[in-house]
Amino acid sequence: MGLRIKILLGFLILSFMLVIAGIWSIYELSTVGESVNNLLKDNYQSVQASQQMIDALEREDSGVLLLLSGQWTQGREILDSADEAFQKAFTIARNNLTLPHEDEYIAEIDKNYLAYKALWERPIVDTSRQGDISWYFSEMHKAFQTTKDSVKLLMVKNEDNMYSTAIELKNRAHRAVMPGIVAIISALVVTLIFIYFVNYYFVTPIIRITRGVKDFQEKEIPFKEKFETRDEISDLAESIRTLLAQLRSYETKK
Amino acid sequence: MRPHIIIRYIGIVLLFNALFLFISLLISIVQKDSALMPLAYSTILTTLLGLFPIVYVPATGNIDNKEGLVIVTLGWVLSCLIGTLPYILWGGGFTFTNAWFESVSGYTTTGSTIIMDIEALPQSLLFWRASTHWIGGIGIITFMLAVLPHLGKAGMILSRMELSALSMNNFHFRTRQILKILLLVYAGLTFLETIALVLCDMSVFDALTHSFATIATGGFSTRNLSIAYYQSPAIEIVIMVFMLLSGIHFGLLFLFFTGKSFRILLSSIVKFYVLAMAAGILVVTYKIHGTFYTGWVDSLRYAAFQVLSVGTSTGFATTDTSAWPYLTQLILIFFTLQCACAGSTSGGIKTDRILLFFMTLKKRIVQLQHPAAVVAVKIDGKPVDSDMVESSLQYVLLYLIIVFTSSMLLAALGVDSMTAFSASAATMGNVGPGFGMVGSMSNFSQIPDIGKWILSADMLLGRLEIYGLILLMGLKFWK
Repeated sequence: MGLRIKILLGFLILSFMLVIAGIWSIYELSTVGESVNNLLKDNYQSVQASQQMIDALEREDSGVLLLLSGQWTQGREILDSADEAFQKAFTIARNNLTLPHEDEYIAEIDKNYLAYKALWERPIVDTSRQGDISWYFSEMHKAFQTTKDSVKLLMVKNEDNMYSTAIELKNRAHRAVMPGIVAIISALVVTLIFIYFVNYYFVTPIIRITRGVKDFQEKEIPFKEKFETRDEISDLAESIRTLLAQLRSYETKK
Repeated sequence: MRPHIIIRYIGIVLLFNALFLFISLLISIVQKDSALMPLAYSTILTTLLGLFPIVYVPATGNIDNKEGLVIVTLGWVLSCLIGTLPYILWGGGFTFTNAWFESVSGYTTTGSTIIMDIEALPQSLLFWRASTHWIGGIGIITFMLAVLPHLGKAGMILSRMELSALSMNNFHFRTRQILKILLLVYAGLTFLETIALVLCDMSVFDALTHSFATIATGGFSTRNLSIAYYQSPAIEIVIMVFMLLSGIHFGLLFLFFTGKSFRILLSSIVKFYVLAMAAGILVVTYKIHGTFYTGWVDSLRYAAFQVLSVGTSTGFATTDTSAWPYLTQLILIFFTLQCACAGSTSGGIKTDRILLFFMTLKKRIVQLQHPAAVVAVKIDGKPVDSDMVESSLQYVLLYLIIVFTSSMLLAALGVDSMTAFSASAATMGNVGPGFGMVGSMSNFSQIPDIGKWILSADMLLGRLEIYGLILLMGLKFWK
């Protein structure tokens, strides 16, 4: 193998190592971006919507209690605005189905909320239900709790996924950094070995050839340098040996 | 010493590692698992690092003993370093310390692990983990032939005592031929065990990885419960047979199975090895019967598996021995220190040295009774050189000093005394599990990071027969 190819291969190996590490780091970093997007868009939106639904449900529960105490106007006002807030949050959650079986959770919330709403839509003030605490706890509060629990289930599912995505993010970040570190250390090792090889196979032979020629010139010591490598250096040594041998025989004849 | 020649051969060692990384990569591609990129990068990097010196350094067949020692020892340490790549690049719970511990444990065929949920690892990474055992086993065989003779008489006794039937004339002259024979036995045993395990209804993947671990006397399993997962007496019997065989000198196995010599049946070392195991199994069976297992068959089944597993330095488990009676734990600790025969992939002090130790005691007793008598230490009827005896006894002493020192260091880190001692003995003997926190059904994840480095050093010291590593560190050696 020629000197040119040997040197070129050394640099190519070094470059290839760094390029591969770079490509991988870029790939991992781009997937980190995707994971962040998933975390924010898919899960955070649903968690926020679930929280808003729970807030709305609790306001509705207060509204129901106002109706029970006979305050019709305030109670209905709170119930209408809370219902509007719930519907808004519910629509966001329904349009953001990103996890497996999430649609089943949404259907469960819908079913439970409709049942709960049916209870407080019926007249309470000036009926037998006004002030009836036992009715409130046996029917109304039970329906409220069931709806709230189903919303919580949706929230927990999204929070769990957020957690696992965050762990995945941590791993991705680790994977993006590690190839770089490994490549730097490996490149350093290859560089040191490369320097050793350049010194051993290129620099030292040239020094030996120069010294051999000098010894021939000054002390008339025959040039005997030989190299095990089959490259331009061994060819050069061979040519010099032939040249100096011819020169000596020419001088002897003279 | 020619550094460029050493670098070239280390390059070849790395290329051998790259081959197994590539197979793991193929598994990852087929399985479409999460280790694809870590394995791809590790394969490319290892191939490049291995190819680089081969481009520059022309091939040479003449390697002297010193160079052989450096190639094998450095090749081993660098393999351990390369072995960490798939783990640290994959991430999970692998810090560099954990990856180093796992890799060293693999290559030294120890089988101690820091992984809490092994089954959570992708199959390709599990294959790589098992491969480190198999590559390590090949390293041991090469080490026996290339390095041990260089360690003077202490090393020669182990490599020559049983090899003499294979190379009657000159050890070095026949080295290459012996290497071929031993590798043939190694690969043959792996193949046979894989077939036997598949016939016992084990999946091909599990059969292959467990065969890698058995023949290399490693102990890495692909299951959290190790062999206990399968609850199959047939699988346990197959593994026990191959564990027992893997603890015998491979040269003797070759001669026996090819019908060239039946020295295996006459060798006092093999006899001592088998009798010690049998005695251990009987005592453990008796002690655990009635307390842990109601039937004699069950007691014998678990006792035989655990004694063979520890006694051959494999480290597989079918039950939690940490809960067993103290006497049985002490018996297992004895086997953790002794292990199997020289010339196998087993670790520990080796049966050969223990036998030599007992023979020396016998000689001393006879000399006390008959002060004027000239008594020689004999093995298989042949007298053993006094220098060899002395070197072996020194080795045993040095071995125990290292075990006690690392036990004390671990205890200083806050590890309880049983865990500290058994972990040191198990890693130094390349056995794998110990007792306490590091029992047969637990792992080394609870050991502090500094402790993991101490135990990794123990694994390397034990595997490189102590002197190998010490010699390499000596300045005089490099002059």
